[in-house]
Amino acid sequence: MDNQLFFKSLIATLPKWIHKCQTSKHENILYTNPNSLFQLLYFLKYHTNTRFKVLIDICGVDYPSRKRRFEVVYNLLSIDYNTRIRILTSVDEITPICSVVSIFPSAGWWERETWDMFGVYFSNHPDLRRILTDYGFEGHPLRKDFPLSGYVEVRYDDSEKRVVSEPIEMTQEFRYFDFASPWEQMSRSDESNQK
Amino acid sequence: MFLRRIAGPLLGGVKETTGIVGLPVVPNAREVLIGLYRKTLDAVQPIPESAQYRKTVEEITQHRLAICNEEEDWKEIEKRVGNGQVEQLIQQAKDELTLIPKMAEWKPWEAPEGYKVQIMIEENDVPSHVPLHR
Repeated sequence: MDNQLFFKSLIATLPKWIHKCQTSKHENILYTNPNSLFQLLYFLKYHTNTRFKVLIDICGVDYPSRKRRFEVVYNLLSIDYNTRIRILTSVDEITPICSVVSIFPSAGWWERETWDMFGVYFSNHPDLRRILTDYGFEGHPLRKDFPLSGYVEVRYDDSEKRVVSEPIEMTQEFRYFDFASPWEQMSRSDESNQK
Repeated sequence: MFLRRIAGPLLGGVKETTGIVGLPVVPNAREVLIGLYRKTLDAVQPIPESAQYRKTVEEITQHRLAICNEEEDWKEIEKRVGNGQVEQLIQQAKDELTLIPKMAEWKPWEAPEGYKVQIMIEENDVPSHVPLHR
């Protein structure tokens, strides 16, 4: 009940910035536009009734079927009120999101990670480089259209006495995957299918 | 130790520490708070009166200002406001003061006509292994 009251007051205060909200007993999620994300986070950090001072993490989700395919997730914690909140926003490959490093300094590395893994661009970031992948890496590994094996393979070359990276070569022969199990199986009931 | 035992009754109303790292004791917290709350009430004037944000801020600030005016002792102020120690109240008031000019500039209450926020409420019970946060 507390949750619902809190959300109603948030929506009454910031109708322009929130376009959807979802609450349950253990999760509170706000959906916002990338344009108003910075303002919303600023408000949540400094307003007396919210005081979400800690940015726990930022990450991304890829939904290739959507028009704005990336969802960027911000998890916040308010130590004063022992509350957590999740802010979601969605962008496409080209649109930049405003970086929130100036509000939460901890955002720096997470934004780099999201840039590295998904290719979501954060404008005004002080140092937007790749963080997890190797130098000269191409592509963004957590995108759904990135091949599972990657594009290059890295191995130690004994004659050159150094690590070399080469285009990937699949040494395995073509296999036909037969998913039919030889064991007798229980058929899934119709009720569970309908649900 | 010895000095504190003698001076203890005299220092009864003096706070030794807040118990929070990086948050020093403010000896004249009540006066500081009153000053900050008056500043806050002045700062919200540019925001239109119909805006929910201004109503919320004025309500909180006037409530706390009234308590500060009525009570002399910091212990009573903390007890009646019920939102942490006086030093934390000072922090909250300062944070709100930094927010108000930004809000006046961004105007989040100006939603377009017919704008509706979609609200989804799930009433399902939480499984017992999931930790509950408020």
